[in-house]
Amino acid sequence: MSMMDNLAAGFGLVANFQAILSLLIGVVIGTIGGAVPGISVTMSVALALPFTFAMAPINGILLLLGVYKGGVFGGSIPAILIKTPGTPASSATVLDGYPMAEKGEAGRALGMALWASCTADMISNLSLILFAGFLASFALSFRPPEFFTLILFSLTIISGVSGKSMLRGALSAVLGLMLATVGLDLIYGTNRFTFGNPNLMGGLNFIAVLIGLFAIPEIMAVIWSPGDEHGRARGLGANRVSLADYRRCFKAILRGSTIGVILGSIPGIGAAPSAFLSYSEARRKSPHRENFGKGEIEGVAAAEAGNNGVAGATLIPLLSLGIPGDVITAIIIGAFMIHGLQPGPLMFVTNADLIYGLFIGLILSSVFLFVVGSAAIRVFKYVADIPRSILFPGVLVLCVYGVFAVNNTIFDIGVMFAMGAVGFLMLRNDIPAAPFLIAYILGPLLEDNFRQAMLMSGGSPWILFSTPITWIFWALTLFSIVAIIRAAMTSNRQEQGSMGF
Amino acid sequence: MKAGLLGIVGAMTMAVSAPMARAEYPERPITMIIPYGAGGTTDLSARTISEPLGKAVGQPLVMSNIAGAGGATGTVAVKNASADGYTMLFGRVGPHSVSPAMKAMLPYTLDDLRFVAVYEINPIVCVVDPKSGIQTVEDLVARVGEGGVTYSSSGVGSLQQIAAVMVLREFGVEDPVGAATHIPQKSDGEAATSVLNGTATFLCTNSSPLAGFVKAGQLHPLLTTSEERLEGFDAPSATELEKPALTRLVGWTGIAGPADLPDELVAQWSGWLATATEDPRFRQRMEASGSIIELMSPEDSDSFIRGQYEAIRALVDELGMRIEG
Amino acid sequence: MQNLHRQLLIGLVAVAMGAFLALVAIPNWVSAPDKVPHIVLSPLFWPYTIAGLLVLSGVGLVLSGRYSDEIFNADETRIPGAMKRILIFAAIAIAYVRLIPLMGMVWASILAFGATVSLLRPGHPRLAIICAVLFPLILYVFFAHIAGVAVPQGKFVRLP
Repeated sequence: MSMMDNLAAGFGLVANFQAILSLLIGVVIGTIGGAVPGISVTMSVALALPFTFAMAPINGILLLLGVYKGGVFGGSIPAILIKTPGTPASSATVLDGYPMAEKGEAGRALGMALWASCTADMISNLSLILFAGFLASFALSFRPPEFFTLILFSLTIISGVSGKSMLRGALSAVLGLMLATVGLDLIYGTNRFTFGNPNLMGGLNFIAVLIGLFAIPEIMAVIWSPGDEHGRARGLGANRVSLADYRRCFKAILRGSTIGVILGSIPGIGAAPSAFLSYSEARRKSPHRENFGKGEIEGVAAAEAGNNGVAGATLIPLLSLGIPGDVITAIIIGAFMIHGLQPGPLMFVTNADLIYGLFIGLILSSVFLFVVGSAAIRVFKYVADIPRSILFPGVLVLCVYGVFAVNNTIFDIGVMFAMGAVGFLMLRNDIPAAPFLIAYILGPLLEDNFRQAMLMSGGSPWILFSTPITWIFWALTLFSIVAIIRAAMTSNRQEQGSMGF
Repeated sequence: MKAGLLGIVGAMTMAVSAPMARAEYPERPITMIIPYGAGGTTDLSARTISEPLGKAVGQPLVMSNIAGAGGATGTVAVKNASADGYTMLFGRVGPHSVSPAMKAMLPYTLDDLRFVAVYEINPIVCVVDPKSGIQTVEDLVARVGEGGVTYSSSGVGSLQQIAAVMVLREFGVEDPVGAATHIPQKSDGEAATSVLNGTATFLCTNSSPLAGFVKAGQLHPLLTTSEERLEGFDAPSATELEKPALTRLVGWTGIAGPADLPDELVAQWSGWLATATEDPRFRQRMEASGSIIELMSPEDSDSFIRGQYEAIRALVDELGMRIEG
Repeated sequence: MQNLHRQLLIGLVAVAMGAFLALVAIPNWVSAPDKVPHIVLSPLFWPYTIAGLLVLSGVGLVLSGRYSDEIFNADETRIPGAMKRILIFAAIAIAYVRLIPLMGMVWASILAFGATVSLLRPGHPRLAIICAVLFPLILYVFFAHIAGVAVPQGKFVRLP
């Protein structure tokens, strides 16, 4: 069959009421699930999975993809409104989204998050359709040495989210690295800081750490200085996103989408690092750099473009090689297999109509996301107007339910509160939380890939310089470090006397 | 500490409801603990059986993922739960026969669980990259002799790790632990990817996640641990290769409760599973992904699991693979 | 605090933590196999690296803190009773975690909501009490019946 025939057959599959309805329902479920902290995208997809067993393959898979797309955007809603990332991928959105909500611009931040999400989603889907073959070969060239250098480079984004002091950002990152060592060792399976407690052997639950670090300190800050009035300027300023905003952020969105597509097509990285990388790139390039972290709309746009850009691209290794890029796509592979379909190179031959049907469905999903997201914003926007004395106790209870739901253990609620105490201490001492989080995500990846590379080479470090990809990332890392040092020196010179650095 | 707390809750709910429960178990939803995260092989198997099983039980089954430490965290939660039949566990080869044999510091033993059934069997397939030039197990063994051979797995103490070692050993490699290097990954998917991208030379794992790669020619199968040839895998079986010991090397999924689960509940569960595994749609879905549906009685399940445990334990002790820390 | 700058104090704490990690925590609480083919492969290698980085960043903070005149925003305002309220909240959090297995998630949440509200001097106390009761119940319905989570039930009152 020619491509046109396949396209027509694909249209035939998707152009029916059931397929479109399942996609729409998927986006709605995903957005709601994403908006509830603790119900991660993974969990929403897993919960929706049994319902797809009885459906036609294309409908079932479209439903799951809808949940995925909706979830990645949905996470930004609580991130902006109550400083509680609904999913790990929306942690970077907190950095500027929440300050915007504090300034009374919650509607504008949410609107930008949606526009950026839909744009990035569309770009990601198009890259999947147009460049799947090219990017798939890229996916297989990432072995432990390449991963190690990529992650090393990604750690330099810590400087972009450190706020006022690079040194305190570095300290925060080292603390994150330290906490991430808790659990069983990857290579030998021995205990590290577990004290014989089976709850610690799996490491600290990431969502519990995340919510503990962002949401709980905010609740404590409100308890520190109570009162029902929100931030000073609340209610003032534009509360809707404008076309001018979108135009101003468009470059950041494009950059974020590209980062998302590249990182998404490499299995095993995920959306959170992509969002942070996109955010720090936007900050580096922006003329309003000093506003980042204080409610800069470009920061929201970049973060959301970074994480949504991943969504379509993770399907590249899935469809072209049969490799799951993350846990979510692993579940989607399961859904394929339940229907007797095997994603992989053969699928383009045996089930080409299905593939093209999926492509069309994906494009549609970006549109649905926009519609559903707009409706969700209209509903959730009012959360920002709830008096603080009622909102924050509510956030507390929500976080407890959510953190429990992730792994069904009460222990994790204790972890969340303990991390809350750490986060509050950091907040009081102006130590930024974002580097902690990035290091917590990337630290174990760095260590594991380093040791896997050493196993491959029998202990010789030269394997870390063995391929062109590793050279590129070494160069980029070096380049970033030089840029960071130079930026630190110039800002030091400029700010001497006024505020100090 | 939390597991302790969970135990207390469980004990208390039992104290209140146990006298009545005798009469009409189950009278409320049953929590089914999956010791792995959403989306894995175990999770998928559990969620597939939950539908027919829930119908047979007549009460909702609440699927709870308690992931961590290769299944240990979830297992301990069930170990500490009360034996009232309202907290049950999906058992799996990794945490419930390989890990107990390999890890000295594991917070549970096989005696802490009572198995009501093993309902799914999944043979092991060993695969290599077709570009490696390795065609047969003999080729692989010869390559091991030259050095530099690596194998991947989903982690330390997993079935894949022991499978690779056992296969090499059966085919005459004296010291498989020293002769080939183990490169652990963090999941089934990553383990397969690492053979695809050349990080590891070979991998021995359950047939279901490999079926697609083999069909598409991305991976080349060397052998299967089944008695007969597996559909879709053009490779000799263990029986054909005259290595009957390898047929013990299979993945499985089952259901267990805490150690002191009463006999009448065990019988009830066995009956429910008999109904559930007869469900044609369930069978078709599981078989589509390469599994063999075969319900074992509680006694058979126990001796099957212990037999596998003993075999692995013997190998682990012989090769000094036990993890003490 | 008048004599020592906050940054310098943070640095000293970091150095102390790094030393504790290297001298006490790692030798005692990280186990490694007896024979490791290569030092970089040992489970101890990475923790020691982190301890080193911790000391390094601490030293950096101490050095820069000696010359810094940065004003920390935590010091800008002093609010009466703030510390007391935070300690009460810590007690609420501990009680909350302890009460969940006893009373069940919903009842413990209603109490915790109420207790936290009372710390915040609400402008609308009656509304706050209504929310304290309704919100945990709504969440229960969502998590238990829609998302299918086994929300902990206490030993006193079981919810459907």
